[in-house]
Amino acid sequence: MKVTLVSRSGREFIKGGLELNDSATVADLQEAIHKRTKKFYPSRQRLTLPVPSGSRERPVILNYKKSLKDYCDGNENTLTIVFKDLGPQVSYRTLFFFEYLGPLILYPVFYYFPVYKYFGYEEKRVIHPVQTYALYYWCFHYFKRIMETFFIHRFSHATSPLSNVFRNCAYYWTFGSYIAYYVNHPLYTPVSDLQMKIGFGFGIVCQLANFYCHIILKNLRSPDGSGGYQIPRGFLFNIVTCANYTTEIYQWLGFNIATQTVAGYVFLVVATSIMTNWALAKHRRLKKMEGRSTPEDGLFFLHSCRTDR
Amino acid sequence: MASALTVLRRLYLSIYNWLVFIGWFQVLFLALKALKESGHEHVYNAVEKPLLLAQSAAVMEILHGLIGLVRSPVSSTLPQIGSRLYLTWGILWSFPEIRTHILVTSLVISWAITEIIRYSFFGMKEAFGFAPSWHLWLSTFLVLYPTGISSEVGLIYFALPYIKASEKYCFRMPNKWNFSFDYFYAAILALGIYVPGSPHLYHYMLGQRKRALSKSKKE
Repeated sequence: MKVTLVSRSGREFIKGGLELNDSATVADLQEAIHKRTKKFYPSRQRLTLPVPSGSRERPVILNYKKSLKDYCDGNENTLTIVFKDLGPQVSYRTLFFFEYLGPLILYPVFYYFPVYKYFGYEEKRVIHPVQTYALYYWCFHYFKRIMETFFIHRFSHATSPLSNVFRNCAYYWTFGSYIAYYVNHPLYTPVSDLQMKIGFGFGIVCQLANFYCHIILKNLRSPDGSGGYQIPRGFLFNIVTCANYTTEIYQWLGFNIATQTVAGYVFLVVATSIMTNWALAKHRRLKKMEGRSTPEDGLFFLHSCRTDR
Repeated sequence: MASALTVLRRLYLSIYNWLVFIGWFQVLFLALKALKESGHEHVYNAVEKPLLLAQSAAVMEILHGLIGLVRSPVSSTLPQIGSRLYLTWGILWSFPEIRTHILVTSLVISWAITEIIRYSFFGMKEAFGFAPSWHLWLSTFLVLYPTGISSEVGLIYFALPYIKASEKYCFRMPNKWNFSFDYFYAAILALGIYVPGSPHLYHYMLGQRKRALSKSKKE
């Protein structure tokens, strides 16, 4: 079968097109393109069916597992595919590892080293117990995230654009330093012992719940990442669609109740709004896919997703 | 058929744009007058009232964008107006020591010419339905943006010692919310934002200009 490849502006992307087996899959096509173009490895290629000009429909993205025949109209043995370069890609694992590594390393710097000297404060200092527990809590959290990245999470689309590394690292590393600066500050004012215990206790429970949510999500997919999108069931997923985000948000709330800094609460608000956006998008996607059998919504602030029967 | 709302909208926007135009015209006039008669150290004092008024009035434009009265996206008006208000109130008004600097003159003149062209353009469009020499405006920014931005950056930089010494707008630790704010470091951060922000804005304007020039060529 002959495959004609065009760019989004309509120009022929590979002169003369490509000749493939009739039984070839999209993955085979990706390999063939990579062979011809060297630079464009498969995860960088976005292959879509042409959309009639003027149409506002979203283009159909080719699934790498399907055979090319599935996308042919009727009996034609030719196919025209639109190619887009997604730019340099990194695997999600790489991306997550670097974005989490920053907070894991930077926070202890503020705790252990005389950093505040450079801000004009004298050598410390009295270290309050809550500051030590905060260090353990924080580092455990990001250590957990890194472990989950390598041993628990199963990713749908293997890669993310390289530019996201800079953007995401800036977000995590900047907020990590910003919070670490205040919690470990020589003039830090601790909350009451009871409040600290409640905060950390609640946070730990939420982190455990979050871990369990990740296990549930992992079991929705097979090890190679297939299984696609399904509605998670059981545990908190019976109440909200994205219970993993809910538990993550409440876990940060626990940390903030214990440490009480404006920096920490600002981070909580920003993180919550980001996760809420993701949750709404995922919820919409799942509803579209499986009709109306999604979980009931609980209270608004158990949120992560508004749902309905 | 023009609905009553459309007429009201155009009337309101015409009045708004022409009023602010007059404000900026005053700024330019008084600035040049003071420059000629007394020298650059006195420019700020001469223009202070109309400058504060005209620049602060621009906050209305954020509102206009939010409620859909005008089509400009809030995402582009907000940083522009933010930096203007920061310079006007956060630097010039707050730190009198910087007011005699020569960059105040270049700042005020760059802003005034830009705004005079901009507000008269929109004023004409809303009142009469058309406006001449759209290309003229877009081309003047090629000079006025660099002079304006350099003046802004320069003034923030030269105001830094006064900011640090005065401790104005600072909030210190210890406090029960473990929060602090240092206006001096915030100013340095603002300077930092100008580094990627200015070329980005300039490129955006260049793109607008190219689009408008090619569109008028087609007509």
